[in-house]
Amino acid sequence: MRVHLGGHLSWYDPQKRAWLELNQGGPIALLELVHRLGVPPAEIAVATVNRRAVDLETAVAANGDTVEFFTAVGGG
Amino acid sequence: MRYGYSGKILRVDLATHKVWTETLSEEFYRLYPGGKALAAAILLQELAPGVDPLGPDNILILANGLLTGAPFSTATRFSAVARSPLTGGFGESEAGGFWGPELKLAGWEAIVMTGRSAEPVYLWIKDDQVEIRDARHLWRHDPEEAQAVIRQETGEKLARVLQIGLGAENLVRYGSLTNELRHFNGRSGMGAVMGSKHVKAVAVRGSGKYLDAAAEAPPLSEMGRRLAKAVKEHPSSWDLQVRGTPGLTAGLDAAGILPTRNFRQGSFEGVDGLRWETYEKELLSGRRSCFACAVRCKREVKVDDRYQVSDSYGGPEYETVAGFGSNCGIDDLQAVAKANELCNRYTMDSISASSAISFAMECFEHGLIGPKETGGLDLRFGNAGAMVACVEMIARREHIGDLLAEGTRRAAEAIGGDAPLFAMHVKGQELAMHDPRGKVGVGLGYAINEAGADHLTAVHDPMLANPDSLSFKGAQPLGITEALPPRELSARKAANYALMENWNSFERAIGLCFFGPTPRSFIPVDDVLTAVTAASGWEISAEDLLRIGERATNLARLFNVREGFTRRDDTLPERLFQPLENGALAGVAIPREEFEQTMTALYQLKGWDPLTTVPTRERLAELGLEWAADLVGVQPGQ
Repeated sequence: MRVHLGGHLSWYDPQKRAWLELNQGGPIALLELVHRLGVPPAEIAVATVNRRAVDLETAVAANGDTVEFFTAVGGG
Repeated sequence: MRYGYSGKILRVDLATHKVWTETLSEEFYRLYPGGKALAAAILLQELAPGVDPLGPDNILILANGLLTGAPFSTATRFSAVARSPLTGGFGESEAGGFWGPELKLAGWEAIVMTGRSAEPVYLWIKDDQVEIRDARHLWRHDPEEAQAVIRQETGEKLARVLQIGLGAENLVRYGSLTNELRHFNGRSGMGAVMGSKHVKAVAVRGSGKYLDAAAEAPPLSEMGRRLAKAVKEHPSSWDLQVRGTPGLTAGLDAAGILPTRNFRQGSFEGVDGLRWETYEKELLSGRRSCFACAVRCKREVKVDDRYQVSDSYGGPEYETVAGFGSNCGIDDLQAVAKANELCNRYTMDSISASSAISFAMECFEHGLIGPKETGGLDLRFGNAGAMVACVEMIARREHIGDLLAEGTRRAAEAIGGDAPLFAMHVKGQELAMHDPRGKVGVGLGYAINEAGADHLTAVHDPMLANPDSLSFKGAQPLGITEALPPRELSARKAANYALMENWNSFERAIGLCFFGPTPRSFIPVDDVLTAVTAASGWEISAEDLLRIGERATNLARLFNVREGFTRRDDTLPERLFQPLENGALAGVAIPREEFEQTMTALYQLKGWDPLTTVPTRERLAELGLEWAADLVGVQPGQ
């Protein structure tokens, strides 16, 4: 599974990585995934699985998927 | 005793080449402590209504804020203010960089330029010595060249040069100002106003020290050291340092609000060509900062491939990536970087320029203009070469470029037919690259802002949508109590918007960058209060800061009222009331009735008449603006 921590979310990764390769045993809920990655859900505004916007609260992903998380964009 | 500011205003009459000094009172400066606030007060008092924005009677004001030049991150901004040639209303644009702080260290709070010089000139300011110098040999020369010549002529290698290029000299109505070649007062056409006055540049060198004039230097020094470290300890400022604004592109696409093909769509199939990873691989050559700022959000680019892009003029920000990229249907980031370089070299606002071109592309595809008008360009969405060529045409006012240089509103009126439906502007100023269909508070800001569509009028709705987010918590000391969905339109949303508008307006008055204070970034409200008090000696509350912002906005509103603006001007392009064609928000439109109801609630919160948008005399009196009410003729009970 490829996981993208967009915007400032990669700050929460100890190595400050924007892209991670993860090998999950089976499908995983996105909320559980961000919990494992140490990313506060409150900082996530948009989540996608394979480029489709999904509900962070209910979506799941599996090996082979590309999961992206993005922050709220405040202008710039 | 005044602290933190000199009170000195440099007056320049360009018709007679006379300069003199005016000193502001403490009482005046405390109400209008620089930037937008100070400039709005002067403009409203001194500019006669109805003057030609590009005529000699317009007044151009360059104004620092109280904190401009203070030695801590993001205290770098100055305002350029005049009647806008793009909108005919209050024109305003801020920039960072080095010029504002240098002017402060030279002992000046602002420069007020009136009249028009018979021949091109530049101003040379070295502390309290001011000269008006011949610039005929610099006119039509690129900023890089002009800056080098000015530094040679003045003998100051570190002279900070604010100037214009070819586009502003040719009075492109969205002509901008540049300092240090990489920092821009982009919006509202302030460069065109300077061009109309035949002022090529304002060069400045100062020998003062900010802390010498501060009421208390130690808190400011301590803050400078602490904030330099804090940049990396806060996720938002860290991200601005690592990626800068170009890091925003993919997230907006995923959210379905990346302006695409002239705001018809919210997602771009070619976004991979524009996102940060491509930017880093194909363009990035370095990072830069503004004066004393540890955020270092500026990207440097250099390309020698499909396009040759100089590293002299800075890299494209997010607005430019989306404007020349997705909104023109173009996925070639090198072409975007070239268009950005040309806008910066010719000093033209890249938001307005790119929007004018996407507008022209839609007109071309609908047969409203053809190769005859475009000089043979096949100006369709996705044609990167034609897009870059069109930027050149605008700067040189050739073929369709001559019309697009007038801005989309005027161009649409001239083309006729359905063209006005394709012109994405408010009051004549083009929309920034944030689609309000996904964050409606941005739409309130576009509609109500006195300078026309501007994405920095208030913090964007998603930042106040989650009560557990860093940004929401950061905004609580300002009075934000309710987390609201980004697409909610309601009286509650109007209340959040009004608070954040006052806060952003205050930032523009005091000289702080949007990327410094909470909720957008890392500086808490308490630190802002500490900085203001340490600089000025004033005991001041967060509420006082918000009132400074509100006062400035009311002055800008009164300026527009006097120029004949009404509620009809506080609206959005029709397209935003129509559904997005694709992406995560496909089918979503701004509900017109709810939008108007929220605008009405917002006027009431502001103490403005919802029918006329005129501030009530009572509200103006509360803000200490009776003089402005008298000037504009606002009667009690009106």
